[in-house]
This record gives sequence, structure tokens and C-alpha cells, in this order.
Amino acid sequence: MTHPGLPEIWGMFIWGFMIAVAIWAFLRGAPDSSISSQYISLDKITLLKPVIKFLTRSQFPLLFLKIISVSFFILIIYAGLNGTPIAERNIATVLTWNIWWAGLIVSIFFFGSAWCAVCPWDALASWFVKPKIWINKKVYFKLNNSLEMTPPKWLRNVWPALVMFIGLTWLELGVGVTTSPYWTALLSLLMVVLATLFLAIYKNKVFCHYVCPVGRTIGFYSQLAPVELRPINPQICSSCTTLECFNGSESIDACPTQLVMGSLTQNTYCTSCGNCTQSCPQQNITWRLRPQSNEAIQSARPHWDEAWFMLALLALTSFHGITMMEFWESAISQFAQVIGDSGQLLVSFSIGLIISLIFPVLIYSLVVLLTQYIAKRDIKFKKLFTHLVFITLPLAFAYHLAHNLNHMIRESVGASQLFYNPLGLNALPLSDSENLLKEYNMIISQDVLFALQAILMMFGFWVAVKVLRYRSHNLLPGQNIKLLPALSFIILINGFHTWMLTQPMVMRIGSLCLTPTLN
Amino acid sequence: MKRFSLILHGKNISHFMLLILLPLLITSEAVAHHVLGRPAYSLNEDSNTPPSMQVETQIGEYYLTYMVFPAFPKPGENGRINVYASRIDNGDTFQGEMSFSVSNDGWFIDKNEENIGTQQVYDGVFRQGFLFKEKGSYIITAKFESGGEPYVIDFPLQIGESSSMGPVGIALGTIVLALISVNVIQRKRLMREKIRQTRDELK
Repeated sequence: MTHPGLPEIWGMFIWGFMIAVAIWAFLRGAPDSSISSQYISLDKITLLKPVIKFLTRSQFPLLFLKIISVSFFILIIYAGLNGTPIAERNIATVLTWNIWWAGLIVSIFFFGSAWCAVCPWDALASWFVKPKIWINKKVYFKLNNSLEMTPPKWLRNVWPALVMFIGLTWLELGVGVTTSPYWTALLSLLMVVLATLFLAIYKNKVFCHYVCPVGRTIGFYSQLAPVELRPINPQICSSCTTLECFNGSESIDACPTQLVMGSLTQNTYCTSCGNCTQSCPQQNITWRLRPQSNEAIQSARPHWDEAWFMLALLALTSFHGITMMEFWESAISQFAQVIGDSGQLLVSFSIGLIISLIFPVLIYSLVVLLTQYIAKRDIKFKKLFTHLVFITLPLAFAYHLAHNLNHMIRESVGASQLFYNPLGLNALPLSDSENLLKEYNMIISQDVLFALQAILMMFGFWVAVKVLRYRSHNLLPGQNIKLLPALSFIILINGFHTWMLTQPMVMRIGSLCLTPTLN
Repeated sequence: MKRFSLILHGKNISHFMLLILLPLLITSEAVAHHVLGRPAYSLNEDSNTPPSMQVETQIGEYYLTYMVFPAFPKPGENGRINVYASRIDNGDTFQGEMSFSVSNDGWFIDKNEENIGTQQVYDGVFRQGFLFKEKGSYIITAKFESGGEPYVIDFPLQIGESSSMGPVGIALGTIVLALISVNVIQRKRLMREKIRQTRDELK
């Protein structure tokens, strides 16, 4: 069973937009100055002020939200281990892969890394290792079961998160964890165990900072979020000597990812935990609105490991789309015949995954080399590689959003019934008519969905071009021709993503329901 | 295009708002990315069959489809395995005989393989009945020979419910063990620190 792709007219419209913007960007070249930005502190909006104050000045609202998220998480584990193995009838798979996993990316678009603040993996790990028991609002017991070791140097980068992210994709698309409530529950348990072990051994939150694939994905995409936690008055931070935001206070823990608010320029490692807002004696930290792409355009600093994570994010996002193309299964099947793979075809899948990771990296490296050649300046490959890589973020994010919208909207019908029978006891697999009904009863009309997907693809392209122009401002001043390789890369990737969106997307659940069963 | 312009002019603004609130509002069916070799559960309402568990896979020259009736067999309940084997190149059904054996599935247990029968093809299908007395995870091994080549392929079979306490126990056990170890190390650290302090004071 497949879902229809974006109509050709929309595809042509996106292509038209891309060509027009590319020509404009080429003619304009890199801008002469860096971008100036305006921010709106949410504390300053009268209507929001009490809400923001309530959420950020006390530990209890967040604790309440954490209890809710942990409750759902325990339900997922219980249902996964004890419920029906039929994925679409078990709340474990539906809640994890459809609602959370698909909705998570959409939430970043609006709320940045807010999910990390209520993450049940970290909440449970913290409750196990560093529990706080309140007697009343002011008196509490605090235990610390952590060795508080300094993480070794090899762990202090996002390479572990990258390996975990590739592993998660392998489990998700290769092994098929998404189709198994039992394996979904096991994976959930594994993540809690890992988070707990890291917290029990190392100081701060090494798991969130360097290992968690979800946290780092959220972190990098959050560079494109319209919200950020920042100082209200930077002067107060620059004269601060106690750094409660970094060190914590008597009652509030230190920043889990060791950020100093006064010098914070990017959201990548901010987990929105709110420790800084609660510990700052001047109450100088708050949420503020900002232009959606400014951080990727100029504030985020380039790093070698982060550049690779961003590239992998692009590659794996595209790979997700590729595996849902109609040709994927037959291609893997044919490849398996060639190499003599059998069974679940995991070897063939793994090779496909590796190729899909290598291919964009090779193209990007070629783009960097070409730019280096055209620029004829003494710019090191590594510097250019890490500076230009920010163009991949909006491309990956836009396609990820457009792809996930398709999942969410087309498959969102009738699943609220799952809450009446979360374990799916005695439930039957989806019937043919139920599958078809889902197509007819979408939460919004198909035309609106197509329009939103197209807008997202154009948004991604526009931001990528903007990032390229401003990142080139210092790096590649002068002739516009220097932008050409990277501009071509943006067109190629966004064009490929647009093509994938115009193709029918295989929704493999239910597809087997259409296979006649013989008796 | 026309519908889209309507959104911007407000007529379908509710749709747009709904979309913004979607992460909070929706409940949805599971997305399954099924590739060969992964169990799926199906129901065909054109026939009166009970739901079945089905695995599609490929080995050498053949596509194999393995189906279990009922989808969730219980101990003491009669069940049946249907296997379809067709050539990848031309779709021809395999016409030889297929033998079936069963063994325990698990990492640290005795596999204890046992033959359960050899079947001829009938109407394109190899049918093998089964009856298990105990619940557990089993592996059904189908063997056949074609073109002088032996073909052996394993399929999963769950009888009764799978264990839920095992994974939770292992996870909690690991966490408790880690916390106890940390406490022991912390106490040792503290003792060492006290001894050092006492030594320093004596000096």
C-alpha cells in the first residue's frame, strides 16, 4: 500500500522557486555585512509573562511534566512487553514511533529542545542516581550515587552520538524495531540503562551531552528553532563572578551540559532543563523569540565532530525517505541475490546504509574541494568543511518535517481508540477497509498537506541559501562564482528530496493485509 | 494551488491551526517499515481465516513466505505452518519436499532440535501442523534441496506470551548493580580520604 506523492505541479513550483532563488543568490553573492537580529524576550510579553515565570522559576512545573512523560514511558514498556505483537494495535509502537518520533521533529520547529527537559530517559536516570526527596517546598533530601568522574577526552565530542544515531537507524529500518512492540520496549529499557550508567559514572550529564542520538538530533535542529534560553541583560552576565548557571546553586543543579549563559551562542547542547533560569540570583535568564535561522547563519561555531554529525543527519534523513520508495525492497532483494544474503537481508541493508552515508559525504567533500579550488585562497579544507556544513541543516530539517507530516497526517485516523485498549488485547490486525478508511479520513485535507510539504521544502532551501551567503561573508568574499559549488549542492539535495516527496511513499504496515491468505 | 491560497486567506485557518497543534492532538497508527524477513500480522476479511503471522524472506534462488495459523498460538493448541516457495527468476513453485524441525530459541539454552515432519507440496503450499505443550520462543527450520543445493532457513515461532519480567529484571538488575558498585566505591573513597586525613594529622 502506498500513499500518493506530492503532485507534479507542486514539484515544479518548488523547482521554479529553487531556480529563482539560486539565480538571485548567485547574482547577489555573499552579503557585505553580518546579519543583524532582533529578539523578543517572552518575559516582556504581558500575556506570556506569568506563564513563563511559572514555568521557569520553580522546579515543580517541570517535575510535574516529567512525571507525565515517565508515566507514558512506563506504559510503553509495559504494553510493549505484555501487549499484542501487532504493531498498529499496541500503544508502545504507536506512541513511540508515530506520535513521539514523528512529532518530536515538528516540536523542534516550534519549541527547540524543549523535549529534552521532560525526557523520561534522563528523568528516570536522575531519579535513580541523584534522587531528591522533598519534605516540603523548601526542605528536601538529596542523594548522589554518582562517581562524578571526568569523562575521558575521546568521549567529549558527538562521535558517540553519531554512532548511536547510525545504530538507531539500523535498528529502526533494518531490524524493524518500529514494527515490534516487544523490541520497542527493550530499546526503551536499554536507553534508560545507558542514561543511568553514564550518570552513575561521570559528572554532569555525559549521556545527554555526547551520547544520546535523539538529544543531539534535537540539539542540531534547534539551531533552526525560533526560541532560545539567553540572558535578558548580557551586562549582568559579563560582570557575574559566581556563575550559578554553570556551577548551580545550593538547591539547583549545575548546567548538565556545562554551558555558561553569558557566552552561550548556540542551542546545540542546551537541554532546556531550566536550571539556569532557577539558579541565576539576578533572574537574568529567560526564553526569547528569535529569527528562525540566525543561529545556523552566524552564531553556531564550526567543529569537526559536529560537522560530521550534521552531514550524517542529512544522509540518514534522506536514507529514511529512500527506504520508503517503492523500488527499495526489490533493489535490496536483488542486491541480496548478488551477494548471497538471505533471511532478514541485514547484510544487504547494512551495505545500503553505509553507501547512503558515504555518498553525501563524498559529494559534500567534492563541493568543498571545488570551492577551495575556485577560491584560490589559502583556506584549509577542514575549515571550509566545518563552516559550510551548516547548509545541510535546513535541508535535512525541512525534508524531515515534510516526510514526518506525511506519516502523521495520513496515519492519524482512529488511533485514539488505542487508549481504550493500550495493550491491544484480543485486537485483530488492521483490515483492508480500515486501511482504506485512513486514507479517506485524514486529519487535514490532502491538498493542505501537499501545500505544507511544498512550503517546508521551499523554506529549507531558502534558509540553506541564506546560511551559505552569510557563512561565505567572511570566508569567501568577492566573486560570486565561489558560491557556485555549494549552491549546486543545495539544489541537488533539495531537488532530490523534492523528487522523493513526489514519489508514492510505501506504508508497509497494512500492505501485507492486502495479500490473500490461503487456508 | 487554489486550496492553498484559501489557507492564507483564512478560510482554512482552522486546518492550519490544527496542524500547528498536531503534535499535541493526534494519535496515530504505527508506521511500519517492513522489509523482507520481518514478522507481520495480517487479516483478510475476504475469507474466514483467523489472523496469521507472516514472514517473507528470500534465500538463494527462492522467495519464501512463511505463515503461522493462528497468529498467536498457545500451548496445547493445534496450529499450522504454511510455506510457499517460488523461484525468484520465474515465479515457479518449488515442487520437491520440505522437512521441518523445531528448536528452542535463545542464547544460553539447549537448542534441542527435533524433526516434526517432511511435507510434499499441495496446491503450491507446504503445510506442517504443530502442537506445543509449553510456552516459549521456538525456531522452525525449513529444509529443502534444489539444483543440488541444500536450503536451510529459520523462522521464529512464539508459543504463548513472551517473557516480560526477563528484560525488566535485567534492566533493573543492571541499574541496581551499578548503583551498589558506585556506593561501594564511594565508601572506599571516603575511607581512603579519612585514613589520609588521620595520617596527615598524626604527622
